[in-house]
Amino acid sequence: MAEDKVYKFLNPVGIQNPVDISPLASRLNNLDGKEIVFSITGEPDITIALEKKLKMDYPQVNWKIKKNYNIEPNRLSEEEMKTVDGLIQAVCW
Amino acid sequence: MPYIAELEKAGIPTVLLDLEDQHNMVEQEARAQGVPNIRFLPASRTLPGPDDVELFTEKMLNALTDPLTEKENESGHWEPPQPRIIFEGTMDDAEDFYQQAERIPHPVNAPIAIYTDGSPIRLPTEERVKKMLTGTSHKPDEIITYQKDRLTMRGQLKKGDPVAFQPMGWNATVEKVATIAVMAGCKPEHLPVALAIAESGCPIESTHSLGQWVCVSGPIVEEIEMSSGCGMLGCGNPSNMAIGRLHALMARNLGGAIMGVNRMPSLSSPFTRGAAAAENTNGLPPGWKGLNEEAGFNKDESAVAVFSVPAGIRGVQHSPGGYRALQKSGHGGMARRLDVKGIPGPHNWLNYVLPELWAGREGPHTIIMIPEMARHLYDIGFKSKDEVYEWLWKQSFMTVEQYKKFSWVDFTTNGWMGIEPISGKHWKELPDDHMVPAGGTDSSGFCIIVGGGDEEVAQEIQGGRGPAGGGPIYGIDAWR
Repeated sequence: MAEDKVYKFLNPVGIQNPVDISPLASRLNNLDGKEIVFSITGEPDITIALEKKLKMDYPQVNWKIKKNYNIEPNRLSEEEMKTVDGLIQAVCW
Repeated sequence: MPYIAELEKAGIPTVLLDLEDQHNMVEQEARAQGVPNIRFLPASRTLPGPDDVELFTEKMLNALTDPLTEKENESGHWEPPQPRIIFEGTMDDAEDFYQQAERIPHPVNAPIAIYTDGSPIRLPTEERVKKMLTGTSHKPDEIITYQKDRLTMRGQLKKGDPVAFQPMGWNATVEKVATIAVMAGCKPEHLPVALAIAESGCPIESTHSLGQWVCVSGPIVEEIEMSSGCGMLGCGNPSNMAIGRLHALMARNLGGAIMGVNRMPSLSSPFTRGAAAAENTNGLPPGWKGLNEEAGFNKDESAVAVFSVPAGIRGVQHSPGGYRALQKSGHGGMARRLDVKGIPGPHNWLNYVLPELWAGREGPHTIIMIPEMARHLYDIGFKSKDEVYEWLWKQSFMTVEQYKKFSWVDFTTNGWMGIEPISGKHWKELPDDHMVPAGGTDSSGFCIIVGGGDEEVAQEIQGGRGPAGGGPIYGIDAWR
């Protein structure tokens, strides 16, 4: 019967490139004396308060601040890539 | 996200603060970047910053020091299966297959279709897709690439570069576009338009914006019997409706855009359900170029504009009878506002809608107007669309003090840390009474489309054409 006829239906989904999965970078033992970048992108209501708290409550950390008011983070320089121990990105949307 | 993944791969531990409703997007993007186990936590949309910070800071810092789990230490290779034939069965069974939906958690909390825009589609059998492919000379397995060099928000792209469909950056073949064209209800003669829309990469809207719509310009409008007349932005015309569905279906399938996961318009708008119209080039006054010519194509070449709508659509501020009273004899509310009482037209009706254009948001506009209203502007003295754009842009100038009272400008000026493009001076050096344009850096962003009729109506859509040399307009003839 016509309604039993079997057809092949094509795939509309886009071509997804294969991805190599990487593990996360090793974590730090502690933050004492470490150079941590606080990379700011937007939401100053949060990031102003957060910057203040980080510097006041965690003075043992060497805080470096990078600031942008849009969604693109400021990139680390070649030199910073060698010296930075960790990075906080806030707030992303 | 790409940069966070880059840092993790370089051995720098990171933690990311996002907003809770965006977790799905962060996870998906992290997976696409090859670092699926990115550490992230949410900030609040509503708590005052100082209170919120007290709640999350310790957990955030622990993310830099807590040892990795076994899962976070995983590496490998992910290659999804990509069969050409996705289903084999009867028509009834295929309907069930293509109408599948998956439940998306907060911020949607509802099912979202997997292969469609939520509405039923025309099933893409091998036979139907083969027939659709007669609409182009391009080979089915050809990858969709840019047909000319193009400047986009992502930078300079070259002719021949593969198109990366948003948001996942996937690629597509001509056959996949033809498959989607079948699903949308297109005919083979629509396929070149579909392929040109595909060349846009189907940009999707962000959290606050309203979606996309397309406008076709040039001889193909009449060839495929699109409507550029009464109701052209609405329903009824089979070509307008089928072409209107393409963007949403392509974004879902070719770009992997999932509402509430990586496509996040808070409210969205009817635009994203599919909106296609056509330009009435016969209705253009002498010397006024069509969209195709404005994009560098010849008058006898066809093109399609894929517009993004960052903000609102306004329109019908005046009664049609009031417009006629203004132009015929200088009477009525419009004449009173323009201070031309008793003076027959033509009058510059743009002055009537002007106060609304930058009432809420800065930026250029696309103005859709019927032929009669375009003709009035021509008769007043605007001998080209460019002259109208230049006039509108000049009207958009306002003081820095006023400009600072828009919302987006804190973002677009990078917190007032950048240079004001007209004066070349730092924003913070400019006095409050310095004049700056709310309509964009120059007039090139504005756009006029003539169509509809006959009642005297214009609509203004926030957002216009893109950067010179780029913009959202794609040639159709290259895809015949």
